[in-house]
Parts: sequence; C-alpha cells; structure tokens
Amino acid sequence: MKSLFTIREGGAANWTLRVITMVAIVGLMLYIPTKWEAGTLNTAIEGLTYMSAAMALNLVLGYTGQISIGHSAFLGIGAYTTGIMVSRWGFSPWVTFPVAFGIAFVIGVLISFPAARIKGVYLALVTLALGLVFPQLATWKKLAWITGGGSGLPIACPATGVSRSCEGTEVPTTGFNIGPKSKGQMQTFEIFGWNPFGDLRRPDNKAAFYYWIALVVAIIVYLACRGVVKSRVGRSLIAIRDNETAAAVMGVNLVRTKAFVFGLSAGLCALPGCVTAIKTGGVSPEGIINMTVRGAITFLIVMVIGGAGSLAGPVIGGALYVFVVDKTGTWADDDKIPGVLRPFFAWSEIPPGDGIFAVLLILLMFVAPRGIAGLWKQYIHRIVRVIPRPAGAIGATPAMATATATPTSNHEGEPQ
Amino acid sequence: MSMLRVVGLSAGYGPVSVLQGIDLEVGEGEFVVMLGANGAGKTTTMRAISGLISRQGLVEVAGDDITKWSPDHIVRAGVAQVPQGRGTFPELSVEDNMLAGAYVRHGGHDVRDDMHKWFEVFPRLGERRHQRAGSLSGGEQQMLAIARALMSRPKLLLCDEPSLGLAPLITQELFGVLERLNRDEGLSVLLVEQNANLAMHIASRVYLLETGNIVASGTSAELSADDSIRKAYLGF
Repeated sequence: MKSLFTIREGGAANWTLRVITMVAIVGLMLYIPTKWEAGTLNTAIEGLTYMSAAMALNLVLGYTGQISIGHSAFLGIGAYTTGIMVSRWGFSPWVTFPVAFGIAFVIGVLISFPAARIKGVYLALVTLALGLVFPQLATWKKLAWITGGGSGLPIACPATGVSRSCEGTEVPTTGFNIGPKSKGQMQTFEIFGWNPFGDLRRPDNKAAFYYWIALVVAIIVYLACRGVVKSRVGRSLIAIRDNETAAAVMGVNLVRTKAFVFGLSAGLCALPGCVTAIKTGGVSPEGIINMTVRGAITFLIVMVIGGAGSLAGPVIGGALYVFVVDKTGTWADDDKIPGVLRPFFAWSEIPPGDGIFAVLLILLMFVAPRGIAGLWKQYIHRIVRVIPRPAGAIGATPAMATATATPTSNHEGEPQ
Repeated sequence: MSMLRVVGLSAGYGPVSVLQGIDLEVGEGEFVVMLGANGAGKTTTMRAISGLISRQGLVEVAGDDITKWSPDHIVRAGVAQVPQGRGTFPELSVEDNMLAGAYVRHGGHDVRDDMHKWFEVFPRLGERRHQRAGSLSGGEQQMLAIARALMSRPKLLLCDEPSLGLAPLITQELFGVLERLNRDEGLSVLLVEQNANLAMHIASRVYLLETGNIVASGTSAELSADDSIRKAYLGF
C-alpha cells in the first residue's frame, strides 16, 4: 500500500509530528478549564472519569482477554473509601487515593484467583456477581453504621465547608490543601500558599478545581497502563490473551500475572471513584451512579468503541461518549430534530445518547472490531508511514535497514 | 548425565488418563524422536514434561527433579517447548514474539544480541521483524515458534509436531534447521512427530508411543530394521 508520506522513526519529521501532537494535547488540557463554564466542565470531568475507568478495564479485558462486567464495583470501592475516610474519620481527601488503590488492588487480586481458573462467560458471571453485590452491600442496612446506608455519607465540600445534606451541623473539616494548613482552607485550594483557583465558592472555579483532580487521575492511570503495556509484563499479557499455553511455556506464571493485572486494574479503577466522591460531595447510591452494573457496561462500551487493546482507545471512547450523550440529551423532545427521526429518540425510555451508542456499537463490530483506535491504525499508514528504526542491528547501516524494511504497518512511532 | 530422564510418567486430563507410565531419556546433545499415531499421547507427554498438566512419576532435567515444579520454573531450568500448532502470538510483532520468548531472562543487551543471532539463522524472520506474527505464512510462523523458544537459552528443546500443516519442502527445511541447531549449538532435542520417514533420518534414537505406552525404542537403524515397525510407521 502506497502512502503519501514516508518518514523515518526518530527523524526530524517524526519528531515534529510528535511535538505537534503533544502541544495539541497539552493545549486542549489547558484550554478546557480556562475557557469552559461549570456545566460543560462537569461533562469534561465525567468524560475523564469514563476514560480512567475504561483504561483500567482495558488492562484486564483488552490486553489480557479476561472479561469483567464488575469494574463498577471497584469504582464504588474507591468512592466509598474516600467517603468513609473523609466523612467518618476526617482524613484529608488526598490520603484516600492511595488507600482506595490499595483496597481495590487487594480485592481485585482475590477476585482474580477464581478468574485464573475460569474463563470467558463464567468469568463474566463471577465479575457480574461482584458488580451486582456491591451496590447492595453499600446500601445494606446492617452496614449503614459505616457506609451510611441508603442515604449515604456527606463530605465537607471545599467550596462552602459544609456538606450538601448536613447543613447547619458540624461536619469534619478536611482541607484540600497541599502543604502547611492555613486559615480559610475551605474556600480556597492552596499549594504552599499559592492559590491557583481563586474562590472555590464560585461554580466555575470549583468545576475547574475538580477538572484538574480528574485530569491528574486520568494521566496517572494512563501512565500506569502505558508503563505496564510497553514492558515485558505487557508482552506477557498479550501473550496470555493470544495463546495461554504458549505463554505458559515461555515461562509466564499465568496465575501470578493475571492476579497482578486484575489487582492493578481494580486499583486504578478505584481512583476515578475517589474523584467522583469528592466531586459529588459525598457518597450515596444516587450520587455514585457508576457504581452499579450499568456503570460497568458503560465502561465496557466506552472501551470497545474507542478500541480495546490500545492505549488511546479508552481516551477516544470516553471523549466521544460524553460528547454524544451531552449533545443528544434533549433530542427526544427537540423540535429541531427532523420529524422522521424524533420518534426514534422518543421511542423508548433510554437516553438518545445510549440509543446512538447501541447502534454505533453494532456498526463498529462489523466495520472496525478494534474500535476507533483500530480504524486509525488500519488507515493511518496510507497517509504517513513511519519506517521503524533498525533495532541496533550489528553492522547494519541505516541505509541497509531502510532498503530491507518491508512495507509494514508499524505503529510504535505514531503519536498516541 | 542425561539432559532429560522420565521414569514411570503418567498423566491425563481429569478422570481420563492418557500416559500409562512411560520411561524415556534424552542424553546431552542428543536428538531423540518420539513417533506415534494420533491420540497416542505425544502432546500429553510434552505437556506433562513442561508441567502444564498434573503428572505422576519422575521427571528429571539435568539431574534436577522437576516433577513438582511449576511451568515457569521448568522454563528457567532450561526446557523450552514449541507447542503444537505453533502458538505464536498473532497480535505481537515478530520482534515482540522473540522478546516474549526471553520472558524469563528479564531483558538486557544480551537478549537483543541473541535475537539478532537468530535473525541471522532465520533471515526471513529478520526481514519481517516489525510485521505482525499473524501475517506470516505457516512455515514462517513455525520458524518463529522455534526461534522464540530458543530465546530462553534452553538446554533442551521440546518440539511438538512442527511439520503439522506444512508443505513437505518446508518440513524438510525445518528439520534441517533443527538438525543444525542440534549439531552446531549442542542443543538436546526431543521431537514428537507423525512424519516418521523424515524424523528417523535425523534422530539418533527413536521411541514409539502407542496408546500411552512406549512399545519400542532404539536407534533409527534398529527400528527401521524391524519389519512390523517399518510397515506400521514408515509404510514400506
């Protein structure tokens, strides 16, 4: 297949492309919180939450090939860890992130032991059970002494210092500060005296503050996934997915590797849960909507549409999902929608966005089983082909390597 | 000292027992072939030696009793298996397949050096090193499976029916490679085959497996001299 441009990995053109991509991504990250208002910013935060959860799920499903329909429970565990620690014991919200990761990691490892023995549909059922049980446990009356039961737990929000449901009463005052504590910490966020967001009682400032938390979490999850996937362990994950027997005779310890990945995935999935708890100002069955199985299904859809088994996939999927859901939210009774289409959107109880995604999912299964990221990989080399660097071949000059390079579709040099 | 010594090995899948206690031995630098029809238990033998299924009896590698070891420890002990049906990882590039083969070696420069060495032995793989393994032809994939197994620097190579689904000419080329590896690198090889003619040519010793039992063993010359064996397995 001829491509329009051919560039060499590590060459000037390749670096220019990489720099442009990085500048564009960082630019977008900075543009969103400075220009957008609270309403749209909240959509962006939601998108980042879906991206993080889908990236975590991708480690297990996309790379290792283990089906999980219970990742919503890990998000819930994250949310409830933050909720309980902050509300009951007055910890700083920052502390709860590593704790939530640890708890979810341990539970993930425990779940993975049956997971190492069972596969496919049976594993899907085990994880589904987890996904179904968690919301029940969280609202169980006998556990209300710790979880707050059906009414949940409030977290003192940084904007006002009082929680949404405990107005007038004393709530644990926990600061969002980093560095030495100062007066008035509930109204502002400070890093060693520097106050980047201004008065957090203003909705726009508050949303921007939460956006940055969600963004940092998403970046951490991305880097963790990238670190694992590009390493020796990452190769062994794909090896397990492609052929377990062959992976085992390569010396991959199947049980240990699967346990580690499941644990890591669970731990990472808990982090967006912490963000949701902080943003919602507490935990409750209504506040943490993604802790039910519906959330797990959404993560699944986001991951599959974006592209399973690819680092960029869940990011693309998450962005697309919230964009479509946000834009189509009013279509069911919007007069501007052509009359032919309106009955379709008003036809059922489901939000139009979900209906569109259902159709999109079916379409993609035919056109691009590897999602949008897969589609990109399939066609990008028609436009730009990156000739891989000769892998330190002894005695091979670059010219020789170029001459012997076969028309491959290598993607390592592409900007992610 | 023998590289592999198996005594009274029995194994199976759940309630079904396949191997009924077999004895076999592969000497250091020896090329041993195990012949048998479909369902004789050839693959089960390989899986039992590699520790992929539960087994009873004794399996010794270079003097170490590995009967109770897990598969990854057995690989570290120097046993590499080329699984039946190649078992390359289709979504990984040829290079990544090779690196996956060196999983137990924790990376480093000598892993890359080894890879380039095997790319010289298998030039087709070197040419296609950035290609997805799934896009290779059957013969190339089998070469890749062997090269990948060599990446763990094994002392003993177990090859499970590498000729499966390959054209006769490719099979010949493949066996030539195995023979060279055995001769030049001093690699001990246990090859499981149905293709008796070709395999007996390069083997120093042969075992015959029938319904989970070793029914005959000896040098290639001895076995091809036996009329009944010749008729049943060599077809002349």
